[in-house]
Amino acid sequence: MTEPTAVPALSGTQEAILAAYAGLIEEVGSDDVSNRVIARRAGIAERTVFRNYPTRVDLLLATAAWLEATVFAREESHSIFDIPLAIRDAMQRYDARPELAHVVAETAMRGVNGATPSPGRAQLERLLDGEVPSLDAAQRRAVIAALSHLDSVGTWVTFRREFGMDRRDIADAAAWAAEAVLDRIRDRVAP
Amino acid sequence: MEEPVDTATAILASAAVLLRERTFDDISYRVLADEVGISERTIYRQYPTRAHLLAALSNWIEQTRFPLPPFVTVSDFRAAVHERFRAFDTLPAYAYVGARASAISPTLDTEPAYITRAIEAMLDVAAPTLNRRDRRRVAASLRYFSSAMFWARLRTGFDLDAGEICDAFDRAVDTVLAKLPDATWAEP
Repeated sequence: MTEPTAVPALSGTQEAILAAYAGLIEEVGSDDVSNRVIARRAGIAERTVFRNYPTRVDLLLATAAWLEATVFAREESHSIFDIPLAIRDAMQRYDARPELAHVVAETAMRGVNGATPSPGRAQLERLLDGEVPSLDAAQRRAVIAALSHLDSVGTWVTFRREFGMDRRDIADAAAWAAEAVLDRIRDRVAP
Repeated sequence: MEEPVDTATAILASAAVLLRERTFDDISYRVLADEVGISERTIYRQYPTRAHLLAALSNWIEQTRFPLPPFVTVSDFRAAVHERFRAFDTLPAYAYVGARASAISPTLDTEPAYITRAIEAMLDVAAPTLNRRDRRRVAASLRYFSSAMFWARLRTGFDLDAGEICDAFDRAVDTVLAKLPDATWAEP
């Protein structure tokens, strides 16, 4: 993702609920926080939480989308060749807020429950089609898929968990991999 | 079906059965307790939180349904990953559980996955003179492109089938390996 994810406009109450929930997740170290506690933190009635987010999955999906659009928002990239820089920044941001990063990561992997695992896909396609329009369908798909995958919190989770990497190493390896994906198309920019 | 040997495994086996008709989120401890024929309390004793249950269920599914074929060379590695992605396509509900479990904060199992060690061992043999930073960059990239997360993202976010996902995986591996000079690779 290279620009804030399109999030449906939130009411003040909804934003208060999501902010309260995110704050509690960081304090408790788990997304297992009761609606009663969320309501108290947001200064609203418990039934207001239920009315806005009838199920826990609804609340998690909204929270993850809100986090990606606020705490983890990317600076806009104007070129597909800027994406590695955006990825480097994003990894550092995830590393600064690990509990929230895990919530976003798990929510994106909920499968058929309405999660959007590649929110930045449209932006990547727009940049790639504008700069390197000569790719065939399979090449184009492979570049977009690889960059979408790397430009996600899953990268931070995997590099940290499987390789014990710290913030600097994760940012380096993720950006390096993105540069590798771009190597093949580096000199194929439309004049 | 497997013969459950203990309560912990019986719970996982029943959860796997329930996964065929509903998502993990819809498997409450109450429903699970009824399915196994034990009390909810017993499940809590084995799996204090849903994150513990998810991690254990994913490990069990991994071992029983998606065993990783052993690999030593890069081409064996590609073949092993292709086989896994195809297996994921035949049991998507199980593969989603694996993708999701690999995204949560580690609970019980903080050891790196077997495939991570296997990739590192493969690089030790294939590129013995490669410096440590580049070795980790390559290993981490290969690991991430061979993950259940990659399969899940391409299936749900891009509507791709296993064949197309294998193609995207091969191209990603090519780009990563092409980063290194040819002389890096040991003669087979």
